[in-house]
Amino acid sequence: MSNTDQATLAATQSQRPPFYRDVTVVKWLAQVFTLLLVVFALFFLTTQALENLDRQGIEIKYDFLSIGLGSDLREGIDTDPDTAGRALWAGAVNTIRIAVGGIIAATILGVLVGVGRLSSNWIVSRMCSVFIETVRNIPLLVQIVFIWALVATFPDVELDQGPINGLLHVSNKGVSVPRVHIDDGFYQWLIFIAAGWLVGTFVKRRQERRHDATGRDTYPVLSFLAVLAVFGAVGWVAHPIFGWVGAIFDFIGDGFSSLTPVIVQIVLSLAALAAAAWWIRRFLARLRTPAGLMKLTDDDKFRIIFAGVGALAVIAFVLVGWPGLSSWIINSGTDLLGVIADKFGDGRTGRPIDIKAPDVEQVGNFPNPGPAGLNLTQGGAAVFFGVVLYTASFIAEIVRGGILAVPKGQTEAAQAVGLRRVTMLRRVILPQAFRVILPPLGNQYLNLTKNTSLAIAVGYSDFVQVGQIVYNQTGKTLEVISLWMLFYLACSLTISVVVNFFNIRMKIVER
Amino acid sequence: MSVSDATTALTEELAARDDMIVCEGVNKWFGDFQALDGITAVIKEREVVVVLGPSGSGKSTWIRCINRLEAHQEGRIVIDGVELTNDLRNIEKIRSEVGMVFQQFNLFPHLTVLDNIMLAPIWVRKKPKGEAEELARSLLERVGIPEQAEKYPGQLSGGQQQRVAIARALAMEPRIMLFDEPTSALDPEMIKEVLDVMKELALSGMTMMVVTHEMGFAREVADRVIFMEDGQIVETGTPEHFFTNPQEERTKLFLSQIL
Repeated sequence: MSNTDQATLAATQSQRPPFYRDVTVVKWLAQVFTLLLVVFALFFLTTQALENLDRQGIEIKYDFLSIGLGSDLREGIDTDPDTAGRALWAGAVNTIRIAVGGIIAATILGVLVGVGRLSSNWIVSRMCSVFIETVRNIPLLVQIVFIWALVATFPDVELDQGPINGLLHVSNKGVSVPRVHIDDGFYQWLIFIAAGWLVGTFVKRRQERRHDATGRDTYPVLSFLAVLAVFGAVGWVAHPIFGWVGAIFDFIGDGFSSLTPVIVQIVLSLAALAAAAWWIRRFLARLRTPAGLMKLTDDDKFRIIFAGVGALAVIAFVLVGWPGLSSWIINSGTDLLGVIADKFGDGRTGRPIDIKAPDVEQVGNFPNPGPAGLNLTQGGAAVFFGVVLYTASFIAEIVRGGILAVPKGQTEAAQAVGLRRVTMLRRVILPQAFRVILPPLGNQYLNLTKNTSLAIAVGYSDFVQVGQIVYNQTGKTLEVISLWMLFYLACSLTISVVVNFFNIRMKIVER
Repeated sequence: MSVSDATTALTEELAARDDMIVCEGVNKWFGDFQALDGITAVIKEREVVVVLGPSGSGKSTWIRCINRLEAHQEGRIVIDGVELTNDLRNIEKIRSEVGMVFQQFNLFPHLTVLDNIMLAPIWVRKKPKGEAEELARSLLERVGIPEQAEKYPGQLSGGQQQRVAIARALAMEPRIMLFDEPTSALDPEMIKEVLDVMKELALSGMTMMVVTHEMGFAREVADRVIFMEDGQIVETGTPEHFFTNPQEERTKLFLSQIL
């Protein structure tokens, strides 16, 4: 290398670029600028919206939730709710019922159809293909209305008419079967179940160790269920002995109600600080190598600062933003503990679980929307089967794709070591297919949950339909819409968290 | 001792041993294409047979027919006295007695090395977990990678993965081992470590059938070389005979292209 070259090189190295070309500076400026932009936009939009609402004399207030509602709901845990809030709660339970039941049913049906489409049995695979191609290519709304119309062709309602009198009732208003429901002693009985679960897990582990040691069949899962059954049976009669548990919750409730708001504010602030500190610590621990702490990038620094600022924002909110928060927490916490104390309290000698047959009293008004039987009404059946069939067709394709994604060599290797078909599926194919299936499956669960809002087309009392009743009567459109959004957001986030938990557990270590 | 004397001595010695693999007039078609055309061969106990031939000659198809990864359509295949038919019980018995090693390793990526090896002993042989683990660890020792037991296949090199695959096959304590191009997917510096394991296996008296392009291995370890082309067995003989004095024109052409 010549002297001039070296000189040029040294000059280039020592020269700092102007700040607008310096990567570090530009990156920081971009981060700060974005943050400011977001904060400003939020501030501008909220103040503008509040100002406009104020000018039109509209107040954003949620006190309508405790005002009485003038109409009945078609079905649900409470068909004649006292307040709008109670009505919305009943609607939310109806939505959750359809969503949870639908997710379970759609998964089972979807897996069966998906595996069926891969079957070497020609008739089975053709049938599954026809099902999938039909159902997933027709709009869900059309299918829901179609099922609704189909149920309308069932026989008219008559007193005590059904294939099995008193147990199963089928009519154009829906289907009704006996319902299991929680009775007096349920919560005390739960203590027995929890104890049985613990002991059962212990026995299961022991049986598994015995299997590992001797190779003999020790039926760990069966032993677990047997222990649980014994505890459940004993608790069925013995549960009143836990009558004193209620007093403990009473005691805790007393202590809670004597807290002052200042203490709660301090605890919340410390919790926010602790959370931020824990997050930063974990973040740094991940960057630590045997050779010492890795050099922090600008991005890392920004995240750490952001965590600290977030904690301070929470503290500001607790202390200044909403000073009433702490007394609200104290009040509702005391209420909740009171309810729990009552559930575990003395004198609950009734059965833990009861079964009630459909209550068929009024001709022409069946299923009776009372608490007795488990009713699947015309609208409920339409929504349930609509979302289940529709989602199952998508899940079937996901399952088929997941199984096909496992390389053929895996099947061959499993066969070559002599695994039987069932063992091979259980131990080799499905664990690998599952990790491909899980993320899109979670999306389908989200879709199913959100699609239940189409219930409005057939008059099923889900959260959206009840919300519509509420804002028609109270005129609180914005508030109800905000509740809708919050509710579906909460449902979706819950599903995401559950699916992600399994997703992480199923991950394959690559290198 | 001349070559022909050695051949005669070997033939006599082999005749006294049990038949492990017997194929009689095995035919197989993929659609119009005839992959196997009247394969007739006997492989004796403790014999190491290397199958050579150009690609598409049916070597892999033949070896895969022996544990029913492919079904033959005509002729008979008898493994250690059990005939391979549509009877599921026979297929299971043969598969648990015949180990196989694949070109692409085909390890189970979601299981650790140890679990890969223990899977079949636990679920097919119904061994206690402790005993299966002991067996797995001793096999890892045998293939020379005891320290990799807790790792996942994706964390190992190709040569290490193939040695785990050999250990997995050995865990079923097979009487016959089939190798379907075990070194073809490996980097050159890893081929030796796998071949060393295979040599050790051959010396221990395992009956082996190996499809490979490793001429060195064939020359050094094989008792017999079978040359295939177009689904037929063209020539069979001891390595010396095969490499130094091939009889068939097609064999000579093949050797001239690869040596």
